[in-house]
Amino acid sequence: MKAEALKGHLDGMLLAALEDGPRHGYAVIEHLRTASGGHLDLPTGTIYPALHRLERAGLVAGSWSVVEGRRRRSYTLTDAGRPALEGRRAEWKTFASAVGAVLEARPWPNPA
Amino acid sequence: MAEPRLIRDYLADLNARLPEGIVEELRDGIEQTYRRHLDAGLDQYAAERAAIAEFGPPAAIAAAFTDAAPGRSAARTLLRLGPVVGGCWAAALINARAWTWTIPMIIPSAVAVVPATVIALLITAAFAPHYRAARRAASAALIGLVAIDVALPGTLALPGLLNSWPLILATGLSLARTGLAIRALRRIRLN
Repeated sequence: MKAEALKGHLDGMLLAALEDGPRHGYAVIEHLRTASGGHLDLPTGTIYPALHRLERAGLVAGSWSVVEGRRRRSYTLTDAGRPALEGRRAEWKTFASAVGAVLEARPWPNPA
Repeated sequence: MAEPRLIRDYLADLNARLPEGIVEELRDGIEQTYRRHLDAGLDQYAAERAAIAEFGPPAAIAAAFTDAAPGRSAARTLLRLGPVVGGCWAAALINARAWTWTIPMIIPSAVAVVPATVIALLITAAFAPHYRAARRAASAALIGLVAIDVALPGTLALPGLLNSWPLILATGLSLARTGLAIRALRRIRLN
């Protein structure tokens, strides 16, 4: 799956990758790769700026630690990040249902 | 572990475009990617090329970081707010018949030059394609803006001239903008 198709959904996936606990940039990338069964084809270098953008928005918090003599930056979902993640999930469900209804010519789920 | 040559050159390219802290984070990531490819059975050269290809071109990474740079979104917000605050001050000065005041010529000159410089710096901070240029411009613009927003009420309000609604409104907006600018400056310093 190409980066173009993921536009608008990357932030939600990054927040979801941090839902179970802190991860550093490479671990986030590995999580996206394994959780998607290897289907996500993202330029790895663009994940880091996206994490920084989420940090500036207050949705994740970054901190440095030292691992094997090297400084490593990890990210944690903040209190503001959790409702944001739920919001992204709800948006995705609506989006996926709408696109699925059109592509597969099935009726939109009746709320009643 | 000695850094392989291709990765070292790649990181040097990033280093020329981005701050040290960001490059340090990227170095950790690319080295782990490189080791994963080595563990998967690639030779050193192929593992380096695969890791670099996965990360993408340095120009694209630098551009993405520049878009997320501290100060950039503040500069864009302040550019949008500028006409509102400037308009209020213009209304306040017209209402106070500022052209009848007897003041040294240096003050009107400063009133024209300083905001023009700050606007130019804000435009650079909001749209410059280079991280360091955007960050430097944002810092300078924010300091200039704080100076303007402290000097204007300080000159006009403190001597007992805060006597009209336009002046009170303009002073309030300037103080609110000072708070925004100081918060953005702190974020720039922390990153």
